[in-house]
Amino acid sequence: MTDAGFTQVLGSCAGVLILTAVLQLWRRSLSGSVTLLALQGAALSALIGTIGVAAADPELIGVAVLVLAIKAVAIPIVLGRTAAATGARREDAPRINPTAALLLSAVLTTVAYLASRPILGAAPDAAQRAVPVGIAVVLIGFLLLLTRRQAISQLIGFVVLDNGIAMIALLTAGGVPLVVELGVSLDVLLVVLILRVLTGRLKHVFGATDLDDLTELHD
Amino acid sequence: MAAVIWLALGLPTLLATASMLSRRRRWTRYAAIIASVVALVSGIALVVLTRSTRAVTSTAAVTTTAMTTAGGILRADSLSAYMLAVVGLVALTATWAGLPSKDIGDSSDSVDPGEGTYSALLCLFLGAMTLARLADNLGVMWVAIEATTITTAFLVGQHGDRRALEAAWKYVVLGSVGVSIAFLGIVLIYAATTAGGAPTLSWVLLAHPAQPLDPDLIRVGAALAVLGFATKAGLAPMHSWLPDAHSQAPAAVSALMSGVLLSVAFYAILRIRTISDALLGPTPMRGMLLTGGLLSLLVAAALILTQPDYKRMLAYSSIEHMGLLALGAAIGGPLAIGAVLLHILGHGLAKPSIFVVAGRILTAEGTSRIDGVHGLLARQPRLAVPFLTAMAALLGFPPSVLFFTEVAIVVAGFQQGLGWAMAVALTLLLVIFAGLARHTVNMTLGKADSTGSALPSVRPSGAMIPLGLALALVAVIGFLAGPLRDVIALAVATLGGTS
Amino acid sequence: MSATVTTMLLVAVQCGLLLALAPVRVGLMRQVRARLEGRAGAGVLQPWRDLAKLARKEPLRAPGVRFGGALPVLLMGASLLLVALLPLLQTATLVAVPDDLFVVVSVLLLGTVAIALLGLDSGTAFGGMGASRHMTVAALVEPTILVAVYALSIPVGTSNLSAIVSARLDHPATVVAPVSLLALVALFIVVIAETGRLPVDNPSTHLELTMIHEAMILESSGRDLGWVEYASWLRLGALLALVANLAAPWGVVQHLHVLAVLIAMVALVLKVAVLGAAIASGEVFLAKLRLFRVPELLAGSFVLAFLAVTASYLTV
Repeated sequence: MTDAGFTQVLGSCAGVLILTAVLQLWRRSLSGSVTLLALQGAALSALIGTIGVAAADPELIGVAVLVLAIKAVAIPIVLGRTAAATGARREDAPRINPTAALLLSAVLTTVAYLASRPILGAAPDAAQRAVPVGIAVVLIGFLLLLTRRQAISQLIGFVVLDNGIAMIALLTAGGVPLVVELGVSLDVLLVVLILRVLTGRLKHVFGATDLDDLTELHD
Repeated sequence: MAAVIWLALGLPTLLATASMLSRRRRWTRYAAIIASVVALVSGIALVVLTRSTRAVTSTAAVTTTAMTTAGGILRADSLSAYMLAVVGLVALTATWAGLPSKDIGDSSDSVDPGEGTYSALLCLFLGAMTLARLADNLGVMWVAIEATTITTAFLVGQHGDRRALEAAWKYVVLGSVGVSIAFLGIVLIYAATTAGGAPTLSWVLLAHPAQPLDPDLIRVGAALAVLGFATKAGLAPMHSWLPDAHSQAPAAVSALMSGVLLSVAFYAILRIRTISDALLGPTPMRGMLLTGGLLSLLVAAALILTQPDYKRMLAYSSIEHMGLLALGAAIGGPLAIGAVLLHILGHGLAKPSIFVVAGRILTAEGTSRIDGVHGLLARQPRLAVPFLTAMAALLGFPPSVLFFTEVAIVVAGFQQGLGWAMAVALTLLLVIFAGLARHTVNMTLGKADSTGSALPSVRPSGAMIPLGLALALVAVIGFLAGPLRDVIALAVATLGGTS
Repeated sequence: MSATVTTMLLVAVQCGLLLALAPVRVGLMRQVRARLEGRAGAGVLQPWRDLAKLARKEPLRAPGVRFGGALPVLLMGASLLLVALLPLLQTATLVAVPDDLFVVVSVLLLGTVAIALLGLDSGTAFGGMGASRHMTVAALVEPTILVAVYALSIPVGTSNLSAIVSARLDHPATVVAPVSLLALVALFIVVIAETGRLPVDNPSTHLELTMIHEAMILESSGRDLGWVEYASWLRLGALLALVANLAAPWGVVQHLHVLAVLIAMVALVLKVAVLGAAIASGEVFLAKLRLFRVPELLAGSFVLAFLAVTASYLTV
């Protein structure tokens, strides 16, 4: 792969990652959000694969396959089933309206660029220049977590956050060791599964999966 | 020596599998106790072994068959061995004392349908904590800490009612997000090592002064990692899940979470602090930990004073103790770090005891409200006496080791020129002391009112033995200067506590 | 023949081409839509027939109308100027009027103001409502266009549209770069919004309450209506051609040659036809957004454009 081509593919993957994160803020239909999440997982996997191929690193290519299986297939399927099982279709009233959230995401992106100054050295290479995108994805994941009321949307926010972190890991350090990556992916999958079960119980006990109902414990 | 490590990790997993598959419920009940004993025994064995090897090699590194990278994934040194022993000791107290709650005929605490799963999850939880202590690799340590969230999620939501579910949801979401932030920090620390050509996550190599590291990345990475693990350790302002989870979980689980889970996360903070201090000096970490510690004390003081629920009150007391530990870590130096390690042990023994007793009081009285419980000493002396004793230990009445460690932390603080912070901390500690004491007095003293006296006096069968042992230990540790001092001193040396 | 004359000639060809084909493009879009919906359709030349019919009819104006026939002509003039300024066939420009990004946007705004005034001028409630909605959309659209094209101009170092197209032609790799993709998507959304297509506005609606563009021209009739419709079509055609040229700059003339100009004309017609057909088939599956969700869409496109700007510093 040529150097310019590598940068192109890298940039496109990063673009899809941030785009899917921003669109999450706009979509209200849960099934649409899940599709976006799958797309984001695929883009992350492609990003890892691209760097793996460029560096001729079989371990990274293995990680790419793992990420594809977990983030682009397994987690979206689990979330889709949860949405179907609990009958939740739409995120109707996020805590801030989508217009404000979208504009906020623009602010967050700027913040990400400013925040990444100390992390990037004086002469960042092509991969490192995409680090701010990863930080922006993390921040948007946070925004989703904080502003969503549906259990499943919050879960999606968590996975977006995690995708952003995985992206930063890849771009700053060329990925973490395979053992750790294996554990991390498994942990994320398990957390999603656990929250899925809890969502089912919430539906059973509360009759809905609206997290605003969780108000009994406070000081 | 490698065999001990493998045993400590393998047996809990084996026990968990066995209790999942086992049809005989009576046996599975003891699985968690066996796992605790395994942790305790292997912890003590490793303490002894690391002491003897220390004479030979300066790093006391234990290499195992799992050695895949230069540093090895698993490793036991004086600190991790000591911490493992603490896990074992506390877990033994919690699981043993928590055991008879199933024998009491009350159906509200019954977990019969999934008891095998319950035991299995407890065993896995212990296994994950053991792994967190024995991992040399920051990444593996992270995976283990995240695994503790996963295994405890269902334990917190065990009761399955609205409040328990709410607690479990908040716990899992906040815990996972916090730990994700920590992972981001670890990633950046990893990235900082790529400059040296040999990227590593081994904390031994990271803390080594000769390791070439990018200071900017370490600064950001360590800050994020500490922030993330502080969420899991329950330090303010990321503590909001803690009172919910601790008040809703079954007594034995609250006991374990409060006694050791918090300190597992804190152990991660201690390790990260060492890395940061070695490269950047103590200032950046000191600022963060000092803020977290004082804020935790402030939150605990404010909410203990007005707390209507005694299980939540105990949860806020955990936040207070984590705050104290953070202060100790912020101060640094052999005295403060030694006191912190001892405090982890003392708090780890006192807190499970009182959580278990509080669970019994809840079963006997049917309410977790402080104003719903009166004259316990007159009506339920078998509950009131252990409750008072454990509370006295927790509050740090002199024979309790917590008294000595708190004094040591404060003295070390003054020595290091953090007088103003110590003055604030002391004031807050006094407020907390007054609040806890007032609530305890309200619950236990006074004459029995007519409505409550109709209930039969509850016999906390069996529970007295582990509680008595644990509380006796809390009282005695402070005077066990001889053998314990060496162990602590070695552990402190591992943390580079001479800064 | 001097370069200026040649350029003038080319601009004239460009204007003539768009003038001739704008109604055909509308007809094509309607035809595609009709076929997809299972109708026979009126044929691609129907808009031309409509225009011819309207041109023969006397306009009917209410007594209080101030500007009368002036506004439709102003609108037509603005649209024509826009067509002349955009680098659709060739990248050489008139020296006197640079096809600078900011000039183009202000000409666009001129048309917007003209049509909004037309709505207000009619003096009816619907006209005023339409004008106010149109200005709301315009207020969100203009900054997005500026930011999106700015993002495209960063790698080139100039806000001159023909230079941007020319640079994209020289370095085809930049076309698929994330910056360019983000900016193009943003630009596409705002073009849809500005020209009143689904999902922002429904051009074939009969419900006055949901109208934006149609509400403003509700009172126009005869020749006036003909001018307004023609100008609007021309405007959409020009903007679509711009997006098409930014997305696929191939075929645009850089070195003058008769054959090259012919190829450029064919390429432009093809690009616009494909894009128009794509929009029309997309519209079959879309419903109009509720009015208060329109700002969400436009804020989204603004964020995309903004991301494009930030991302362009990533790849510099």
